[in-house]
Amino acid sequence: MIAASGVTKAYQDGAVRRQVLRGVDLEVSRGETAAIVGPSGSGKSTLLNILGALDAPDAGSVRVDGVDLTASRPSALAGFRNRSLGFVFQFHQLLPDFTALENVMMPGRIAGRPTSSLAARAHTLLDQVGLADRAGAFPQQLSGGERQRIAICRALVLEPAVLLADEPTGNLDSRSGEEVLELLDTLRKRRDTTVVLVTHNPEVAKRCGMVLRLDGGRLTRSCPQSP
Amino acid sequence: MGFVWHIAVRYFRSTRADAHIRALSTLTAGGLAVGTAALVLALAALAGFQNLLLEDLARHTPALQIELGGGSIPGSAGRGAGMTDPVRGLADLAAATNGVAGVQELLYARGWLADDDRPFAVEVLGYEKTPPPWIPVQGEATPGLIVPVSVALRMGLAVGDRVRVVSPRPGLTPVGPQPRTRMLPVDLIYRSDRAEEADDPVLVPLEQASALFARGDRRLDLTLAPEADPEQIGDFLRQGIDPAVARVTTWREANRALLFVLRLEKGLVFSAVALIIAVASFALLAALSMVLSSKRAEVGVLAAMGAPPPRLQRVFLLLGALLSVGGAGFGGAAGAALATFLDRYRVISTPSDVYVVDYVPFLVRGTDVLVVLVVTVLFTAAAAVLGARKASLLHPVEAMRSART
Repeated sequence: MIAASGVTKAYQDGAVRRQVLRGVDLEVSRGETAAIVGPSGSGKSTLLNILGALDAPDAGSVRVDGVDLTASRPSALAGFRNRSLGFVFQFHQLLPDFTALENVMMPGRIAGRPTSSLAARAHTLLDQVGLADRAGAFPQQLSGGERQRIAICRALVLEPAVLLADEPTGNLDSRSGEEVLELLDTLRKRRDTTVVLVTHNPEVAKRCGMVLRLDGGRLTRSCPQSP
Repeated sequence: MGFVWHIAVRYFRSTRADAHIRALSTLTAGGLAVGTAALVLALAALAGFQNLLLEDLARHTPALQIELGGGSIPGSAGRGAGMTDPVRGLADLAAATNGVAGVQELLYARGWLADDDRPFAVEVLGYEKTPPPWIPVQGEATPGLIVPVSVALRMGLAVGDRVRVVSPRPGLTPVGPQPRTRMLPVDLIYRSDRAEEADDPVLVPLEQASALFARGDRRLDLTLAPEADPEQIGDFLRQGIDPAVARVTTWREANRALLFVLRLEKGLVFSAVALIIAVASFALLAALSMVLSSKRAEVGVLAAMGAPPPRLQRVFLLLGALLSVGGAGFGGAAGAALATFLDRYRVISTPSDVYVVDYVPFLVRGTDVLVVLVVTVLFTAAAAVLGARKASLLHPVEAMRSART
């Protein structure tokens, strides 16, 4: 499902060129959940962005759901992100001018799906995460946990093959974080979705089938029990 | 509602929430309203004056004229050539042309009017059937003279007086060459109200004028049917007349310099007033930039969710249109309504002894309003494109990161 090989990435930090990824190899199968862990600044989010076609590697190749991301044009990548990938960000990144329902529907609107069927699908998802009665609320009227659940619904509305989550519980209290993880797991099992998440939290990593440690720009695989 | 409309309309509503963006968007709409209104008003005032001027020109200038060489017309190959009386031949040719309602032969010359004491140099105009329309005299040709008031005052002439018309063309007599003269009565005295009153001609029946001034400049004035096109008829006549014999001139060609000045004046006024719209467009660019700055992270999220850059660009183009269309539309409508009101009720007066009219006329032309709107659209579109381009160039990751920094 996800295969990365020899991925390198460096950033220019003033006069210094900082090598973030040094030949990262990675494979995640369909329906699998992988956690990327590592110290701050180790390049976890950079790797996730590359896997999500939001950033391009300096070298190496990345294939996601059969598509070679390094060989695709930006317009094709935009369509691919819309069709095949779902994103959950640490700070939920909901659009403040739109209601919860409209936020959930947004990827479908970008894809040009009919509004009525899209709204029905969004309502179903909101119902599944227990927020059906908050469909008309704006993000600023929701709690942190509610916002993150809305963000998960938004990521899943088009039933993507891959869900990429960057610290999905990083900004939540432990109870809300637990709820979000339960929700991700339930939805993953229901759709056989591949999930890659970045986390600092060992408890979160423990729940994943695969744990990948990123340190010094290199990725090593470790067992879930000892992240 | 599609994605682009959905986002643009919501962002448009959100401009009301931020005080700075609200101020800038109000400035944009207000500036565009003032700019378009001022432009429509300025063009309507110019069109009003120019319309009066052109109507006056139309009264005083024939739609088409055929100017002939003085006296002897050289032989030529065209349809006007080879005729025993080329002037008559050309007149017949013009009269037979489709769209020509009437042909009048005129003869211009310089001569003298002489009383018992001394001669006075005058412009002489020989006319055929009726005096030309720019001479404010009604009716048919009279057997005598029609004298401008300036000449009548200088010579102390009154209607009924007899005066001698003298031509510089000599006639041969048994005692040698003598000037040709005719004693004719003064039938009418007219006042032209032109600034160049001293050049007003003395009107002499064509038959008398031809006998006296055979070498004068001769011209055919053509009156056209109401729907006839002078340019088209002019082109047709040019094909049949040798340019060595005669020159066909439309009223536009005859007044080319004046029409050029009118166009230049309109263009300069338009350019000056359009600067207001240009400034308002800068305000639009600033408003769009502020909206984009405040929505930077959201645009990044939309891009991350798969919104392609061209569609994000269209969102901001549409937002630019939404921010400007109200002001431009209101300004255009208000300008047209105000111009119509000012013209109908003659609100702005001018001293009638200085100007041709005693009020400022306004004429709202659909084409002028359209041009104003097109220019406004071009200015605002340029501003919106610049603003929208920034949106399409945003890197999603960096844009989302900006929300946290």
